[in-house]
Amino acid sequence: MLVKMVMELEDVPGQLLKGLEPIARYGGNIKSIMHQRERKTPLGRLPVMLIFEVRDQATLKRILAALKEAGIRVTQLGEREGEILTTVLLVGHIVHTDIRHTIDQLNAIKGVTVSELNLAVGSMGRESSARMTIAANDRELAQLAISRLQTIAEKKGLLLVTSVEAI
Amino acid sequence: MRIIIIGFGNLGRGICRAFVEKADFLKRAHGLVPRVVAVADEFGAAVDEKGLDLPRLLKIAEGSGTVVGYPGGKRGKLALDLIDEVSADVVFELTPTNIRTGEPGLSHIKRAMQAGKHVITSNKGPLVVAFKELDALAKKQGVEFRYSASVGGAVPVIGLAKKLLSGNEISEIRGVLNGTTNYILTRMSAEGLPQEIIIREAQELGLAEKDPTLDIDGIDTACKVTILANSVLGINAKLSDVKVVGIRRITPEATRLAHEAGQMIKLVGIARRDRLEVGPKLVPQGHPLAVGGTLNAVTFKLDLAGEISITGFGAGPKETSSSLLGDLIDIHRTLGG
Ligand SMILES: NC(=O)c1ccc[n+]([C@@H]2O[C@H](COP(=O)([O-])OP(=O)(O)OC[C@H]3O[C@@H](n4cnc5c(N)ncnc54)[C@H](OP(=O)(O)O)[C@@H]3O)[C@@H](O)[C@H]2O)c1
Repeated sequence: MLVKMVMELEDVPGQLLKGLEPIARYGGNIKSIMHQRERKTPLGRLPVMLIFEVRDQATLKRILAALKEAGIRVTQLGEREGEILTTVLLVGHIVHTDIRHTIDQLNAIKGVTVSELNLAVGSMGRESSARMTIAANDRELAQLAISRLQTIAEKKGLLLVTSVEAI
Repeated sequence: MRIIIIGFGNLGRGICRAFVEKADFLKRAHGLVPRVVAVADEFGAAVDEKGLDLPRLLKIAEGSGTVVGYPGGKRGKLALDLIDEVSADVVFELTPTNIRTGEPGLSHIKRAMQAGKHVITSNKGPLVVAFKELDALAKKQGVEFRYSASVGGAVPVIGLAKKLLSGNEISEIRGVLNGTTNYILTRMSAEGLPQEIIIREAQELGLAEKDPTLDIDGIDTACKVTILANSVLGINAKLSDVKVVGIRRITPEATRLAHEAGQMIKLVGIARRDRLEVGPKLVPQGHPLAVGGTLNAVTFKLDLAGEISITGFGAGPKETSSSLLGDLIDIHRTLGG
């Protein structure tokens, strides 16, 4: 899973290393580091935003404990949303079969959001088409969202077109 | 090699033209001298154990629509008689496809094998209906059985998998295996026209059958998936084991929405040990399966080689004769020629 974390460091040499070491120790894979100089705190501390990948929640917990032990202040923590983007198409009576309900069903999965919907309404009597982008925190969640959508599509008589790579 | 050809339409004529045009090459490069001793179509047959005059035969067939007018030509449904009575090494079975009964090809192939003749076919019908039976019969009779042209037309899907990639375990084969639907989808995306209009034009251009149902509904692709499952993956699969969705419901708007997201809609056939499937899929532009027009494309997933993809023409008499001729040369070599 991907983690976004903001830590406040004293603006002196060696501090960043001190903050990164616990992450590396538990196998975290650092993707990006951003100093937020413009957000320096009144006490002269420097917020640094990190994005890194860890195996699971348990590992993240261990990292947090190690950071605390090292006296590093973590001010923000979140799983970064929508790391995996999946595009699908739907064809059918999309609006009449309650697109809102379809979207809600997907959004109900924790870690999944429908981030984009493009609807092309068919001319009189013809079926409509839609392109939907689904953001998911990881691959398993993306897969779960697609299989949930497949079930919904079958129930509503919609044709679902998924990516050839989504097998 | 003495050859009998059953079915003298696009492919029967196509392979004969290749025999004529490439006679020198075949002799020089492969030591192969094909001698067509008998040809049958639905109306009758032409026979000459010394070898038919192919340019003459082609002219007559193109003029009258049948080989009956060839000197000494006979009328009637004579394919089975030729197979039994004319001595020959190889039978080309090139009659129309029937995916329900496999006939008339199924009877032709069985009879040829029973008569100890090697068989080359492009006909999906018998392969879909009775792959296992035919495979076993060929082994029992000690004859060679080749069907490269049945999947991919000119694209050497089966040959590549069974010969050059044979050191790999193949976990998946997927492909754009139907030129007609690929042509339709390509034009829908490029021109935003509804399917019916493009189908009508494709029919006028000879790119779609009068009844394009088997293509549009994905059945033709499902037949090819079935053949690949049996011949390459070694699964005893039937056509009804393939989950099939065609392209009928694909709208021009859907192709546009896909295009805007850097994707194309392709009818993709997928053969895996745990699932056989045909359906429209989103394929990113630049992907090996993102081929346009009437092209076919196939990707193998392999344990050693990783992924290997090939692409080319899935139909056409000249293009497909590449596979038919390849099969003939392969048999010639297998027999020590
Ligand atoms: N065309 C391609 O590019 C291509 C590519 C791959 C595979 N294939 C497959 O290859 C096969 C041949 O294709 P094609 O395009 O050559 O078909 P085609 O042009 O329709 O030719 C079929 C031929 O078979 C003859 N025939 C029908 N019933 C017969 C019978 N009972 N006994 C003897 N001959 C009979 C037809 O005779 P009449 O004309 O007298 O009826 C015709 O000469 C089909 O199964 C097709 O699906 C074709």
